[in-house]
Amino acid sequence: MADQILVVDDEPNMLRLLKTILMDKTGYEVTTTNNPLEVSKLLQEKPYDLVVSDLKMPLVDGMDLIDIIKKIDVQLPIVIITAYGTLETAEEAVQKGAYDFITKPFRKETILITIKRALEWKRMQKELAALKK
Amino acid sequence: MMFRFLRRFLKEEIDEQTRLRLKFEHFRRLLENNSRALEIMADMEEKLSGDFLFDTVYLQAQVERLGDNVSQLVTELNLLTENHYPELRSICQKLQEEIRRELTATPAIPPTPFVLPLSALTREMALSVGAKMANLGEMGNRLHLLVPEGFAITASAYKRFLEASGLEVELEKHLAQAPIDDLESLEAISREIQTLVRQAPLPPDLEAALVEAGKALQYRGLAVRSSAVGEDTEFSFAGQFATLLNVDAGDLPTHYKEIVASKFTSRAIFYWKYQHFSPEELPMAVGCLAMVPAQASGVMFSQDPHAPESNTILITAVWGLGKYAVDGAINPDLYRVSREPGLQITEQRVTAKPVALIPRPEGGTQEVALDPDKARSPCLTPEQIQDLAAIALKLEKHFGHPQDIEWALDESGAIYLLQSRPLRVSAPSFGVEERESTWEPVPPLLRFGIRAVGGAAAGRVFLYLRDEDVANIPPGAVVVARQPAAKLVLVMDRIAAILTEVGSPTDHMSILAREFRVPTLVEVGGATRVLHPGQVVTVDADAARVYPGIVAELLEARARPGEDLRQNPLFQKLRRLLKMATPLNLLDPESPEFEAGRCRTLHDITRFSHEKAMDAMFALDVDQSLRPSTCSRLKTDLPLNLFILDMGGGVRVPGQPWVQEEDILSRPFRALLRGFHHPQVTWAGQVAPDLKGFLSVFANTMYDMGKAEKGLGGKSFAVITDNYLNFNSRLGYHFAILDAYVSEEKNDNYISFQFKGGAAGVERRERRARLLSEILDYLGFKVKVTGDMVRGRMVKYSLLETEQTLELVGLLSAFARQLDLALTNETVVDRCFQAFKDEDYSLSFLHPEQSAT
Repeated sequence: MADQILVVDDEPNMLRLLKTILMDKTGYEVTTTNNPLEVSKLLQEKPYDLVVSDLKMPLVDGMDLIDIIKKIDVQLPIVIITAYGTLETAEEAVQKGAYDFITKPFRKETILITIKRALEWKRMQKELAALKK
Repeated sequence: MMFRFLRRFLKEEIDEQTRLRLKFEHFRRLLENNSRALEIMADMEEKLSGDFLFDTVYLQAQVERLGDNVSQLVTELNLLTENHYPELRSICQKLQEEIRRELTATPAIPPTPFVLPLSALTREMALSVGAKMANLGEMGNRLHLLVPEGFAITASAYKRFLEASGLEVELEKHLAQAPIDDLESLEAISREIQTLVRQAPLPPDLEAALVEAGKALQYRGLAVRSSAVGEDTEFSFAGQFATLLNVDAGDLPTHYKEIVASKFTSRAIFYWKYQHFSPEELPMAVGCLAMVPAQASGVMFSQDPHAPESNTILITAVWGLGKYAVDGAINPDLYRVSREPGLQITEQRVTAKPVALIPRPEGGTQEVALDPDKARSPCLTPEQIQDLAAIALKLEKHFGHPQDIEWALDESGAIYLLQSRPLRVSAPSFGVEERESTWEPVPPLLRFGIRAVGGAAAGRVFLYLRDEDVANIPPGAVVVARQPAAKLVLVMDRIAAILTEVGSPTDHMSILAREFRVPTLVEVGGATRVLHPGQVVTVDADAARVYPGIVAELLEARARPGEDLRQNPLFQKLRRLLKMATPLNLLDPESPEFEAGRCRTLHDITRFSHEKAMDAMFALDVDQSLRPSTCSRLKTDLPLNLFILDMGGGVRVPGQPWVQEEDILSRPFRALLRGFHHPQVTWAGQVAPDLKGFLSVFANTMYDMGKAEKGLGGKSFAVITDNYLNFNSRLGYHFAILDAYVSEEKNDNYISFQFKGGAAGVERRERRARLLSEILDYLGFKVKVTGDMVRGRMVKYSLLETEQTLELVGLLSAFARQLDLALTNETVVDRCFQAFKDEDYSLSFLHPEQSAT
C-alpha cells in the first residue's frame, strides 16, 4: 500500500512542483490542495500517512493547521515548509507538534529524506503501540 | 587674515585626505555590493538546475535584493568617480523595472479567433486552447491518429466573455467583499459565483461564433469539456470532471457557460481571493468534440506506473462510454501488453461488467443493463488490444514521456483517441541507486576542485592560457584554464566542460557556465600541468573528479533531464528573469565597446562597475592628495622613503609619526614588503658598474635626499587598510603603481600593477616591458603592454594566492631593478625570464665576475 501524502500550499505552482517531486519514482500517492480550509475535510475522507504544509498561508496558516490536524489524528506527522529567515516560527511549529521543518528554497533530496524519516517514525510509533497492547 | 588663510590651507589638506578615505569607503561598499550581486545571481541560477524547489516569494525576494545591490553598486561607482557614469543609473533603473514587470507578468492570452477547429491545433497552442485540446490536435494533425471531429473555444473567447459581460468587475467585487471563515462559506461563495457566470450574457459576437461552430459540425451530440490553460493534471482548479456528455450542439452557449462556471471551484475562489483576479490568469478554454458512438471505451497507460520495470502497457476497457472506466464506477477489463516488439498480451483479466453508460437519443447519457453473456465477454479482441498498445508507444515516443490515454472504439471498430496526457510513474525506479560520492570507476587524474556547475562530460583537453586562444577552442573541448575567463562565453554553447585552477562558483565565468549548463569545476589545483592538450578526459563536476578517457557509466548516469520540472511556470519565470539579469555582453575591458551605455543586463553593470572601480582606485592621485606631514613614515632598512596613510586597520597603533614594519597589519602591504625583503634581493648592493640600479625606481630617497627636496617625486606612498593597499611610487623617469585588495571573499581580490618609464633608450625600455609582461603573465596576470608601459591585473584568486603573488610582485620589482640598462639584447630578456622561473632572483649571470669569486 502506497504511502498517502497530503500537500497544502496556497501557491498552485509550488504545489505542482511538490507533487512532481514527491511522486517522481518514490512510490508515494500525493494529494494536493491550495485551500487550507479543505484540509480537515480531506483528512476525514481518507486516511493519510503524512501532511506537508506551507507555513505562511492566508486565513489558515501552517501553525493553525497543526492544531486542526492533531485534533483529527494526533499521530499524523506534519512537515512544515517555511520561508528563509523565519527560523523562530519554524521552531515554534516543531514545539507545537510538527515533525520537522524545511526552509525554502530547498533541495529535492532534503524534502524526500525528511519525508522518509517522518514516515519511518510513524511506522515505529505504530509498532510501538502494537507492542504495548 | 593670515590665520584664515592658514586654516583654509589646513582644511584643504585635511579634505584631500578625507576625500581619499571617502573614496576608499565607496570602493569598499562597491566591492561588497558586487559580491552580493554575484552571489544572488549564482544562487538563482543554481535553482534553475532542477535540483531545488522554490516559490514566488523566493523570486521576489532575490530580485529585490539583486536590484538593490546593483543600484547601490552604481551609486558607489559614481561617488567614487565624481559621477563619471551617470547613464548607468538610468540603465540600471530601466532594467530593474523590466525585471519587476516580468516578475508580476502573467502569460498573455494569444489573440486568436474565439473558435479554432481541431484540425488547426498542435501542441504549441496550449496557451490558446489548453493542453488537452492542443495535444488532441497534435495527435490528429501530426501523428495522423483518429480523433473525433470538433473545435476548441479559445482562451481569447474566455477573456472576451469575462470582460464584455461585466463579469470581471463583478467577480472582483464579489471576491473582495466575500467573507470567508470556513469551508462552508467558501463553498457558498463558489456556488454564488458559478450562478453569476451561468447567468451572465455572452457578448453577441462570441455567441454568434459558438452557434455557428455548433451548426457547422454535422453531429448533434457533443462532448463539451474543460481544457484549462496554464493548469495541468498535477493541479487543476477545475477538477477532472468538468465534462458534459452528449449535449445538443444547438445549445452550445449554455453548455459553454456551464463549463466556464465549473472553473470557479472553492479552490479557485480561495486562490483569487488572496491574489489579484484577472481574466488573463489561468483562463479556461473549452473543447467541443463530436460524441463517438462507442461500443467500448477505456484508459491506457503506456507504462505500469507502479511497476515500470515490468515494461508493460496497461489497458482498461468497459462497454459503452468511457466515463465508467475513468471514474471507476464499474470494474473494467484489464489487459497487460509487453512493450517489447511483437506487443505480446501477457495478461487478460476479463471482468463482469453488468452495466454500460450510453448516449441517450434525446441527449445526455443513460445506464443500461447488459445481458450476462455480453457483460462477461471481453471488450477488445487481441488485434484491437495490440493496435491500442502500438498507439500508446507511438504517443509516448512522440511526447517524450509515459502517457495516460483515453480511447473509444466506435461501432465499426475504429479506435478514436479522446485525450493523452503525461503519466506520473510513481514507483521507485528500478536499479537506480544513489551513487556514493566516494565511488570512482577508475583512478582519477584529479580529485580536487569546487563544483561551480554540476554534471558530467567528456572531451579533449584544450589548454586555455590567454584570451586570444578563445577562437581556437574546438567544439566538444574540455577547456582547462589557469583562471576563470568570462570570455569563454563565446564558446560555451559548444564546449563540454571547464576546469580552472582558481576561481569561485560566484564569479562571472561560473555564472555564465551555469546559464549554458557546462559542467564546471574551479579551484582544480595543477589542472594545467596534470592535463595535456588533446588528452581525452571525463569530468565529473558533481564529485569533483577528472578521469582519463571516456567513462560512459558516469555520462549516462548524468543524462537524466528534469524536463517536467523545467516546464513548471515558476522555472520558466526564473529563466526569463535570469535572461534579463545574467548574460554578459561586456566581455573585454580593453575593447572600445566596454562602455557604460552598452550595459544590457545587471551582470554587465556589475562587471563594468567593478572594472571601472579598480581603474579608479588604481588611478588615485595619491601623491597629489597626500602630504607627508599628515602621514606616518615607515621605519625600515629598505632604501625607501615611504609614507603611509592608514584608512583603518592597516597599522597596529594609528596616528604615530613612525611605524615599524612589524606594526603593519595590512595584509597586502605585508605581502609586498615580504617580497622586498627576499634574501636574494640586495637593495643597496652595487650592481654591474655601468648600470643604473632599478633601485631608483622604487624610491631610494634615503640615499638621494636631494631629489626629495624637489618635491614629492622622491617619496613613495602606501594607502592602506587591513585588506587594501595602494602603493604609489614616482621617481625621476620611473613610475610604478600597485593597487591590491586581499580578503577571504575571493570575488573581491585583485592586484593591479603598472610600470612605466626608465632612463634607458626606447629599445631597452621596451625590452624591459616585454620581460615584465612575460613574467607577469607567468604569474597569472592578464597583461597589456603599450610602448614601455606594462599593465597587469589579476582578479579573484584566493587570499593565499593573492598574497603569494603580491610577494612575488615585490620580489619582481626588486629583481627588475637592475634591468633598466642591462637588457642589451633579446637573449638577455629570455635568460632573465628563465632565471625568474628558476627562482634565481640574484641575476648572478649578469655579473659573472661576482659569480666567479
